[in-house]
Amino acid sequence: MATEANAAPALARRAHPRPARPRAGRKSRKQLWAHLPLAIVAVATLFPFYVMLVVSTQNGQAISLPGSLFPVHFNFSAYAQALQGGNVARWALNTLIYAAVSVVLVLTFASFAAYAFAKKKFFGKTVLFWTFIAMLMVPYQLTLIPQFILVSKLGGIDTYWGLIVPTLANAQALFLMRQFIAQVPDELIEASRIDGAGEVRTFLQIVLPQTKPILATLGVFVFLWHWNDFLWPLVETRSPDHYVMTVGLYSLEAQNVSLAITMAAAVMTFLPIFAIYLALQRYFIRGVTMTGLK
Amino acid sequence: MRRNGTGMALIFIAPYVVLFLVFRIGPAVAGMLLGFASYKINGATQWVGLSNFHALFTDPLFWNALRVTITYTVIAVPLTVVVSLGMALLCIRSIRGIKVYRALYFLPVVTSLVTSSVIWQWIYSSDGPLNWFFQSIGLPAVNWLSSGNMVLPSLSIMSVWTRFGFDMLILLAGLLAIPHEYTEAATIDGASAWQRFWWVTLPQLKPSLFFVVVLELIQSFQVFDVIYVMTGGGPGDASYSLVYLIYDQGFNFFNFGYASAAGVVLFAITLVVSLWQRWIFRGET
Repeated sequence: MATEANAAPALARRAHPRPARPRAGRKSRKQLWAHLPLAIVAVATLFPFYVMLVVSTQNGQAISLPGSLFPVHFNFSAYAQALQGGNVARWALNTLIYAAVSVVLVLTFASFAAYAFAKKKFFGKTVLFWTFIAMLMVPYQLTLIPQFILVSKLGGIDTYWGLIVPTLANAQALFLMRQFIAQVPDELIEASRIDGAGEVRTFLQIVLPQTKPILATLGVFVFLWHWNDFLWPLVETRSPDHYVMTVGLYSLEAQNVSLAITMAAAVMTFLPIFAIYLALQRYFIRGVTMTGLK
Repeated sequence: MRRNGTGMALIFIAPYVVLFLVFRIGPAVAGMLLGFASYKINGATQWVGLSNFHALFTDPLFWNALRVTITYTVIAVPLTVVVSLGMALLCIRSIRGIKVYRALYFLPVVTSLVTSSVIWQWIYSSDGPLNWFFQSIGLPAVNWLSSGNMVLPSLSIMSVWTRFGFDMLILLAGLLAIPHEYTEAATIDGASAWQRFWWVTLPQLKPSLFFVVVLELIQSFQVFDVIYVMTGGGPGDASYSLVYLIYDQGFNFFNFGYASAAGVVLFAITLVVSLWQRWIFRGET
């Protein structure tokens, strides 16, 4: 953990210094050789996204290669059809509810608990904390069936709460929040208490603002995990009205709708998370380099 | 004062603890117990001792699932780690636009595996772009997903695409943490680029490299989404992985006890990998 935490500033530091400039003339050739492998991999990385976009605009056309990859005419009817026939708007809304509600609740529960674990004394604290962390080693797939039985006994199958609630106990969030809150100086908390602030107020007004960077990073990742989650929504949802984007996209593909419509739905699944990635890129990078979040 | 603090602490942790007990620890314990039981869909539970495991270990489908999972892991993990390491070494150079490249490479990581699968299924299809490319340069078409021999390598290649942007960042952070002086000293001593990499960089990178390997091992052993969407375990049983077996037996056949026994096996494998990681890192941190 320590080495990774140290590595993150190094990443930022080293990105800036300019390379030593070789003499003019040789410079451009050297630059070219440095860019070539990077550019080839970039093209290979982007190609599937390009394919998705291009094919989604070829509704009603027979797909033929290589012509379909370099189209002259674009037609967006596949998007309209996916929105009407496939219920994509509803799935997007469901996914948004699943992800957004989970982000708020995971961060709330985990930060309150993390504060107590980092700054309070209570009986069984250490044992309890490490029990939570040890659960990270238990594969999710082992808990899936009992979780499904439990939620169905509680009447939660095919409901929003049945989808959301079982995903809220996030050990990774607790762990990272605790690490971060432990670094908040005790003096700050002490001072707030002397000023007469209660426990909740001390937490909300003194501790929580200090954790903004980790809250943002965690929030982004919890959103990502939920937006892309597949296995749990697959077993938990039944009616197409309750599908999330991933399950809906799969169901569309399984119905053998045209390739263009499937790709249009794929684009619509991808675009929101793409927009979030563009806007909050540094939080994604920080989450990976600091903590190994995936 | 202290007592009051303890009381508040308990209130602070209560929601999290309750959620965790009910939806994580409870189901994990139940999952292990269920491996020793038979569970009917009407809720009738009966202890059956080791008979689920006996059935599992005599079932060719289980051994096939284990073989598929191990084969996939053996292909996908080294491929992903080597590509990630290579890309990290390329990306460490500070040339113009390097941040743009890094950001691009991360794009597949934020894409859902279902979306990626839908796209790659067409790329791999018999008349898809990949076969078109192969044929246009004079190579024969390949049955990427429809041949039992090719399906796992094909899925592995795709997994490199989905993961290297992430692993690369971890390795990049590891590379940047290596003090400059080490490689400079080796250069002064007359070490070649390859010698510097092999004798200086690689040993220094060991912790990050190991972290990535363990992460990839665990991920590969739990491969599911891609297989569910792209192959359904096929052709035949050629991509019927361990987690696919758990899902299939659990939610298509409702053999909850049997599926849970397979889940216990998955847990045992994960545990061995995790403890191996602990053992390697003993004494550190």
